[in-house]
Amino acid sequence: MPRIYEGMFLIDNDAVRAGWAQAKGVVTALIEKHGGKVLAARRWGERVLAYPVRRRRRASFLLAYYEIPGTEIPALTRELEIQDSVLRYLFTKVELVPATELELAAAEEAPDFAVPEPPADDSQAEDTTVTAESESDDDEEDLEPAMAGAEDEEGRD
Amino acid sequence: MAERFGSRKPKRIQLDLRPDQPIDYKDVELLSKCVGSQGQILSRRRTGLNAQRQRELKQAIKRARHLALLPFVG
Repeated sequence: MPRIYEGMFLIDNDAVRAGWAQAKGVVTALIEKHGGKVLAARRWGERVLAYPVRRRRRASFLLAYYEIPGTEIPALTRELEIQDSVLRYLFTKVELVPATELELAAAEEAPDFAVPEPPADDSQAEDTTVTAESESDDDEEDLEPAMAGAEDEEGRD
Repeated sequence: MAERFGSRKPKRIQLDLRPDQPIDYKDVELLSKCVGSQGQILSRRRTGLNAQRQRELKQAIKRARHLALLPFVG
């Protein structure tokens, strides 16, 4: 028996730059493929992540409400794991779709709705340069506190 | 000693939370008040919530952490 779920999906900003409708379509198509019916889906926001996920520092969030048989959830999660554009996902059971969410999702369907371009500071190249620089600069400095700590421990013994 | 120092009450945080308002993992502003400086979930003594609401809070924080809305550490 189908029941309603709320799904939050972290979408890679590279996929969002290619087109929000396409990025959203990847998720909604997967839900529909597994016998689900999307009731509402909208962009929840774009933000800095609390920690890097697959070396991305920023990501866009897609909030979706859909009806799907519970038996299809494992198959859906398997397919989401394969998707490169979906960084993370979370499903929670809900009783009803909030009315505000239906309105916001409907507003997103309007032809004049435009998704702002995500900032460009989440690329893999930037991540690698930052880590390379920090490693090269801090190599020698890191040793000193480690040595100092070792001496302290010896002193206590 | 206990009389000398008195009972130490931890400072409670102020949460703008209505009794009927569910604690949602998407409410990052609220959840970030309920974690410590290193990202640890604050105790009931600090949040002032009852056991049921504290469980709701715990679940919401863990969900927010999974979605990288809140840090696990730091």
